[in-house]
Amino acid sequence: MTEERAITRRDFLQGTAGMALAVSLAPEIWREAAYAEEKTRVILIRHPGAVSAEGKIHGEIVQSMVDDALKTLLSGKEPLQAWKQLFNSSDVVGIKSNSWRDLPTPKELEAAIRRRLMDAGVLEKNISIDDRGVRNNPIFQNSTALVNVRPVRTHHWAGIGSCIKNYIPFVPRPSEYHPDACADLARIWDLPVVKGKTRLNILCALQPQFYGRGASFFDRRYTWPYKGLLLGADPVAVDAVGAHLLQKKRIAFFGEERELDVQPTHINVADKKYHLGVSDLNRIHLIKLGWMEDVLI
Amino acid sequence: MIPQGVEGAEKEKISPGISWPAATEGWKWDRKEEVYGSRAIFDYIDGAGEVYLAYHFKNLIVRQLEKPGYPRIIAELYDMGSSNDAYGIFSLERQDEEAGIGQGSEFGGGLLRFWKGKFFVSVYADGEGPEVGQTILRLGQAIANSIQATGQAPKLISALPDGKKGLVEKSIRYLHSHILLNQRFFVATRNILNLNPKTEVILAQYLRAGKKIHLLLVRYPDVKEAEAALQSFKRAYMPEVFEKGLLQTEDKKWTSTKKVNEFVLIVFGAGSEQEGEELIKGTEKKIGEM
Repeated sequence: MTEERAITRRDFLQGTAGMALAVSLAPEIWREAAYAEEKTRVILIRHPGAVSAEGKIHGEIVQSMVDDALKTLLSGKEPLQAWKQLFNSSDVVGIKSNSWRDLPTPKELEAAIRRRLMDAGVLEKNISIDDRGVRNNPIFQNSTALVNVRPVRTHHWAGIGSCIKNYIPFVPRPSEYHPDACADLARIWDLPVVKGKTRLNILCALQPQFYGRGASFFDRRYTWPYKGLLLGADPVAVDAVGAHLLQKKRIAFFGEERELDVQPTHINVADKKYHLGVSDLNRIHLIKLGWMEDVLI
Repeated sequence: MIPQGVEGAEKEKISPGISWPAATEGWKWDRKEEVYGSRAIFDYIDGAGEVYLAYHFKNLIVRQLEKPGYPRIIAELYDMGSSNDAYGIFSLERQDEEAGIGQGSEFGGGLLRFWKGKFFVSVYADGEGPEVGQTILRLGQAIANSIQATGQAPKLISALPDGKKGLVEKSIRYLHSHILLNQRFFVATRNILNLNPKTEVILAQYLRAGKKIHLLLVRYPDVKEAEAALQSFKRAYMPEVFEKGLLQTEDKKWTSTKKVNEFVLIVFGAGSEQEGEELIKGTEKKIGEM
């Protein structure tokens, strides 16, 4: 029996492989020739009015940010046209959110996505927003499409709370994925309830947490009003950019490169072992829109 | 010595030779105590249990202190069985500033971590608030004072070439398993260095002109195991230069390897062949002095 080849540090240095395979594993809608290249496009959009000085999130601004980002991602002329390219009236859509007590997916962002899904023709009864209840939620069980949306933050066991990691409630025993810095999280994306369904990934960077120590850590001193969203079809690419953003913020804040509790290895492993997407920043086309002050990346 | 603000008269014995304060700065112990044996660690910290077990963890005692209107303060005392492993678990995640508590400590983000003797201690609050940080430090100091026995840090650390070579002290990690090595510095998905509970690993970072170099030093139980491990590493990591054990990687940096008796030395990310060689030679010399 041949021993499985080890994925080594060198694989992460190469920046090869992944792209073709990633496209082949993508949902049909992303495989169409016109959109194949968008697989590694990540949109960063920021708006100075998205979050007030008191931390209040402005829903209308968030709505326009999501629209503009998706329009750019799909090279569309109108936002609604872009939404209709991804979703239609026959879809059953689960919006996989994140309900972590201290830094959940903002309700305003969830509402913006739900509104546009309905504008694109998806019936309200065929849309559900959920996090920890997804395994028992009939919309998720019968979904034809998923939208994956969560805040970006440091995470004790996975390095960062990422789009890849956001699917962990789809498994019955999440703790089984905790060992080895949650390296194999991308395996979840191969489960039938999830596989090939994700049409949009959004990392919410309105108020990211860039530093943390230990499990369940939250301290507002280590969040900042970045007022941005990262959006893309490729969860690995979106996460790679998100991890890079947190790293840049830590360097800016501490004046040195502070390591995370663990390295976010799961992002690279998602690329090199599971071919879920592209983790090499050199091969991700980051398109920046909107407010550029202290953009960091 | 009992730090200021700690009510020494109410100290409670929790383990032979160790007593904790029952109250600190108005926070009072809730009179409950949780005790976890080795495998039961998963009941307390589900996802991170493996980390402690990889350091031969023996048991954990957890106490909580409360003060109306303030966040709870949680203190955890881990018996790691040896000072080597108490140091090891402390070193694995060290990144913040030294707090001057125990034999090595750090305090950052409201979390105090330190080691003393065979114990690793963690003190933190479940929220923010005034006085919280100061109370955490005072409670930590009291716990450290109550641990009478000190211990030695792993001797293997002395094999690291010193600060003149650019050693970053905070970056020194002592560990045993390849999973924990990957958490700090990803080498490979498989255990290509044959690491196991009996191997001692030091990972350290050197800064040269702002560039990071990583030195990995592994001590195996015997020469034979060291040789087998180096062969395994070279087969998986640098098959095209198997005999030489020296490679310019895809990022144009250098990885060099050497076996010295029961030790395996690997330098990752050197700026040049010579730079890697220099670090290997410096380590070899220090091993000879151990």
